[in-house]
Amino acid sequence: MAVIQEVARTRGAARERRKGDGKAAALFLAPWFVGLVLVTAFPLVASLYLSFTDYSLLEAPGWIGLENYTAMFSDPRFFQALKVTFTYVLVSVPLQLAAALALAMVLDKGLRGLAFYRSVYYLPSLLGGSVAIAILWRQVFGADGLVNQVLGFFGIEGVGWVSHPDYALGTLMILNVWTFGAPMIIFLAGLRQIPAMYYEAASIDGAGRWRRFRSITVPLLTPIIFFNLVLQLIGAFQSFTQAFIVSGGTGGPVDSTLFYTLYLYEKGFSSYQMGYASAMAWFLLLVVAGMTAVNFLASKFWVFYDD
Amino acid sequence: MTDAPARTEPRPESHPAGPRPTLSEVAATYPERRPPRGRAWAAVRRVLRHVALIAFGLVMLYPLLWMLASSFKPTELIFREPGLIPTEWDFGNYTDGWNALLDPFSHYLLNSAIVVLGSVLGNLVSCSMAAYAFARLKFRGRNLWFAIMLMSIMLPIHVIIVPQYILFSSLSWINTFLPLIVPKLLATDAFFVFLMVQFFRGIPKDLDEAARLDGCGHGRIFLRIMLPLSLPALATTAIFTFIWTWNDFFSQLIFLTKPDMYTVPIALRTFVDATSNSSWGPLFAMSIVSLIPVFLVFLFGQKYLVKGIATTGIK
Amino acid sequence: MRVTATRAARRRGVALTALTAAGALALTACSGDSGALPSDDDGGGDGNVEIRFAWWGSDDRHKTTQQIIDLFEEKNPGITVVPDYTDWDGYWDKLATATAGGDTPDVITQEERYLSDYASRGVIGEMTGVDTSEIPADILSTGEVDGKLVGIPTGVNAYAMVADPQIFADAGVEMPDDTTWTWDEYVDIAGKISKGAGDGVWGAQDYGFNEAGLNVLARQKGETLYNADGTLGVSKETVAEFFQTSLDLMANGGQPDASRSVEYQNAGPEGSLLGTNAGAMGVWWSNQLGALSDASGHELELLRLPGESEFERTGMYFKPAMYYSISAKTEHPEESAKLVDFLLNDPEVAKLQLTDRGLPANLTVREAILPELAAADQKVADFMAALEPDIVDNPAVPPNGANEIQDIMIRINTEVLFERMTPDEAADAFLKDVGAAIGG
Repeated sequence: MAVIQEVARTRGAARERRKGDGKAAALFLAPWFVGLVLVTAFPLVASLYLSFTDYSLLEAPGWIGLENYTAMFSDPRFFQALKVTFTYVLVSVPLQLAAALALAMVLDKGLRGLAFYRSVYYLPSLLGGSVAIAILWRQVFGADGLVNQVLGFFGIEGVGWVSHPDYALGTLMILNVWTFGAPMIIFLAGLRQIPAMYYEAASIDGAGRWRRFRSITVPLLTPIIFFNLVLQLIGAFQSFTQAFIVSGGTGGPVDSTLFYTLYLYEKGFSSYQMGYASAMAWFLLLVVAGMTAVNFLASKFWVFYDD
Repeated sequence: MTDAPARTEPRPESHPAGPRPTLSEVAATYPERRPPRGRAWAAVRRVLRHVALIAFGLVMLYPLLWMLASSFKPTELIFREPGLIPTEWDFGNYTDGWNALLDPFSHYLLNSAIVVLGSVLGNLVSCSMAAYAFARLKFRGRNLWFAIMLMSIMLPIHVIIVPQYILFSSLSWINTFLPLIVPKLLATDAFFVFLMVQFFRGIPKDLDEAARLDGCGHGRIFLRIMLPLSLPALATTAIFTFIWTWNDFFSQLIFLTKPDMYTVPIALRTFVDATSNSSWGPLFAMSIVSLIPVFLVFLFGQKYLVKGIATTGIK
Repeated sequence: MRVTATRAARRRGVALTALTAAGALALTACSGDSGALPSDDDGGGDGNVEIRFAWWGSDDRHKTTQQIIDLFEEKNPGITVVPDYTDWDGYWDKLATATAGGDTPDVITQEERYLSDYASRGVIGEMTGVDTSEIPADILSTGEVDGKLVGIPTGVNAYAMVADPQIFADAGVEMPDDTTWTWDEYVDIAGKISKGAGDGVWGAQDYGFNEAGLNVLARQKGETLYNADGTLGVSKETVAEFFQTSLDLMANGGQPDASRSVEYQNAGPEGSLLGTNAGAMGVWWSNQLGALSDASGHELELLRLPGESEFERTGMYFKPAMYYSISAKTEHPEESAKLVDFLLNDPEVAKLQLTDRGLPANLTVREAILPELAAADQKVADFMAALEPDIVDNPAVPPNGANEIQDIMIRINTEVLFERMTPDEAADAFLKDVGAAIGG
């Protein structure tokens, strides 16, 4: 530790010497910048432009000003989509992160065959977009599926978990937790980044498991927790595949799983109102960007960086 | 939230500062600190943990097992007898599925492999470079550029795809793998840039400060310090890029129009059609086949997830 | 200096991007004259013409269609046909995107709910140079939008009742006389089967998710789902009555509970009540009889829908299974027409695809393949032949926006099944939502 503290003292001096790394940054960022200009920027700008047009995809777009935006705010299904999406984001993101972190801790080390368990637990996440998945869900959550068979064993009569308007969204949230594989892997990688000597030292000092978790794991993992939070949030707002597959693309039963992007997709590709869909997309961008900004501001108070 | 802990907190003040204890020294302290009955109890607990992990795994895997079982049933029995153990074994789904489309299924596996390998390579190189700049370099407008980068993943693909198509079409890239690979070479996958930024920031800055004092340039710090120390992040990037590209359906559907160029997800979709007969048996069989490479990549790739600082030591 | 350079670059970048954006959109806006395939640079020069043919379907159709293409290329040297296929859902996303990008395929497979959308926006043009003399006029006219022939029907299907005689027998219920049975009798029979056949077997699968059934009922009552001018032609009473039948069936146990109905609706033919031997009746398109029979392992029968002699007239009709259309912007209209002509009229083509694109609309060709049909398809052909004299007319092409009705039907029918809407409220909602979809 003394060594590190010593180095830390010299850090200030080093930082002063370095006024800026513009040249190096330009080099390191060159591919990204080319990509931004050539690949990313055009669709971004184009979709913004399209949000002010009447665009059927089949014909050239025509400028209609703010009409899409005003139409959006008097569309009851738009608000239904917002409601569904916010409910989903607020419940499932924290749940999934908690499950992923807990499992990452269990699967981190200290047991034979962990590599195998990790792979097995990751498998469901691999299935996410497969065409077969709707059928598979029915086997588990259908009126005659696995869940209800188990419940029936205990004398409880189940419902159609994905086909009943009151339960479908909740079931989707559970499905999302079930595919916690990706954040789990990122947590695992993060855990591996924590120098073992911290734990060794803490053990020697007699710190218990819980204390080690609170005082070493969590603080040193905060950048990764933060990353997962930000990206799961961005991702959850754009949730599409699960609902699309489970509801056969309709957002049903009766719009109970009408996710924002599902509605947007429906507008763009089956109602041929790509202008409206683009307006929805940009509204979403503003919302998500706002939440992400808040997230970044808040991160100053709880995320612990080494720099 | 929790208070940001001081860097020294993990090691309480009471501990005498000194050279880092070696692993064997640490290990040597353990037996003395355990009660005599501990060993037996630990064995029991280990067994219990395995039992719990296996039970949980079975629940997780039920749909997958169901798919596996169904891939061995004749198509017409899949829904009539949905149990886990087939009453009638039919391996024909695998041969039928392999040859059901215009090219043998290996053709689509190969196409997917090309796209995936290009994407993995592209993401590893370009995202880590961009991440180094964002994590370690000081330059004008860094936060603004970073925000712009994050913004690019906040728009749903469904509104992006049409302008993208127009763009790639004007470059005559439709029906080639270029629209799928080139963007990856240009660090457009902000997810991974951000991921690596977070990992790079987790590496003690003292290391590269020291290297700088020794006269290392950014290129060498990047190659010699950052990359080796963030092996878990690189492995994560490689594995996720592999899996996500392997499974990505929409952009491959839109950008590849010739059946010769089709990749696995598109090929799989051609087994089922809402308006006519669907070959569920071959579909499940080929879905299993297409899961194998991903599973293997994961199984073998994840050992690199484990090779972090923790095992290589800090220097 | 470094800073200013970056700034300048950034400004240039933004300007460039904006320029490209405007340019590319302008490009699509006037893509009417380009419509170029990315790969047909060689077109014309050496006499070799490349045309792209797009269709949807599953593996069987892709294989036979490729054989048909090979045959065409053999008979027409100098024309190369590039296949472009995917499943139903992916097909429309891909077609719309390609159209937006100015890469419309030359020969496009169409469906009635999309035909008007594509025709009225000038994506598909008037069909010329295709011999349609063998196709009955009333079938051919279902491909007309605004008086122009924009799609030629490949074959026809009928929306009919599929029944499983074995389950009828197990339940001790007689098969009905389908020329006289009424909707009430249908409800009654379904209820009896559910009682007689035991647990887990029902009389009928819910029919309310598909608007075709509503159209038949409307036509029986002298109305129609869409008028020829593209407005709604069905009354509120008829829509309410349509939904009421589902409620009656749930009340007497003739069909499963709401949750199961939603699940079976999502399960396709293979996972349906009939396909899994869990029900005696279901309403399907006639060409799905083969898939249903294979899945169930039973010999299924086709019946006419109830009510054909109950009201003013018969309601059943022939629906074109799909259409062949040609891009209005194709560079090779002649070669494209040649391909369509070949697909419709060549006897060898018919022998390869049989009823895969519906019972062939070309009567000579239909005659020629009859002996080659599998048992289920044979039944379809017989059923259609018997039905034909009783069909009054065929509905006009549905208006723009008609493809949205699929989702609207599913949504409103689910509301009814879960009793969150009365049939009356559902009828109001239906008229309002469909009206908005086809009006906008």
